[in-house]
Amino acid sequence: MTCTFLTRKQTTVASFRAPRPALGLVALLIWCSAVAFAQNVSPSTNPPLSIRATHVLGFESAANNANGTLSFRDNTLQFQQAGKAPVEIGVASIQDAFLGGQSKQIGGLPMTLGKAAVPYGGGRVVSLFAHKKYDTLTLQYLDRNGGIHGAILQLRQGQGQILKNELVARGVRVIDTEPETLSLTSSGVTK
Amino acid sequence: MKTNSRVSRFVLAGAIVAIAVAQPTPVLAQTAAERSSGANNSVQWSVQVDKVDPGNANLEASFQIAIYENLLTELSKTKRFRQVFRDGDRNALDTSDLLILKTVVQKYSPGNETRRAVTTVSGATKLTVRSQLCTTNGAIILDHAVNGNVRFMGSNLRATHNLARNVAKTIKGLSFPEPSLSVPAQSGEL
Repeated sequence: MTCTFLTRKQTTVASFRAPRPALGLVALLIWCSAVAFAQNVSPSTNPPLSIRATHVLGFESAANNANGTLSFRDNTLQFQQAGKAPVEIGVASIQDAFLGGQSKQIGGLPMTLGKAAVPYGGGRVVSLFAHKKYDTLTLQYLDRNGGIHGAILQLRQGQGQILKNELVARGVRVIDTEPETLSLTSSGVTK
Repeated sequence: MKTNSRVSRFVLAGAIVAIAVAQPTPVLAQTAAERSSGANNSVQWSVQVDKVDPGNANLEASFQIAIYENLLTELSKTKRFRQVFRDGDRNALDTSDLLILKTVVQKYSPGNETRRAVTTVSGATKLTVRSQLCTTNGAIILDHAVNGNVRFMGSNLRATHNLARNVAKTIKGLSFPEPSLSVPAQSGEL
């Protein structure tokens, strides 16, 4: 009888001891996930701005119509092309920025040649639909000698507003120019 | 007798060939000398490109900047100037023989790339500017109206490239005065 009781007691103690490490593990998991969540949340409140852009012209060390990424680092606006040194402009040196829009034919030269090859003027019909609207950002800034520089950047539609907000927050005067409006009607294209 | 006539013919042909070969040499040499003196003359000058004045035309900012930047590029390509300065460049103040290029927009017709692609005959982007090249003391060396258009292929901004190329072509064909002299204005339209 005694022997049985002791066995039961031992079993009970063992069953009480067993969950403790599990509880600790659960607590550790909760703490880790909370820390990880906090780490994930804090950057999303202020993510670094990075916008894909096409350099139309202006930057001396970047080729015309080169694709790259626009970002801000400290007090400079950077245009980074893959595998090349970034082009940097001091935000303080930017005199004016102009935000505009334009509609362009897509596909470049291959598409143009392809459209020309379509018989019975079918390429024109393709042209009617093969256009895309872009935002353009025109920057006017000064170099170290006081010389005026200009640069034109082409952005996806809607990205211009994000960049504008960032520039305005950094004290740059941004002027909105009326975007090119294009509407398609049954009789053709009207501007 | 026959031998004499043959010899005389041979001598005559030789003389003709000699004259033909010898004649262009001084002309070519003279042209080269003129060219080199002209080039040396122009290379003494530097040029400062002023910002584009939109005038009364409702020109977009991107077009103003594109004209300005394309002018700088195209003028550098002509190799007729010692240096090409930007507007506001402090280094230009120390340059003695400086020409200033002023550009005023006279006419601007905004085009549309899609309309050009669809209709071919409409939607052209047309630009007309008045280009003035003058010395720092106000003497006008060039006063030209220059056009730059895009009629068929290419984006609207290509008009600015064509315009700058036309301005550079006009300036390239210009004979520059000696740095101390000034010449009357050469006006016209390209």
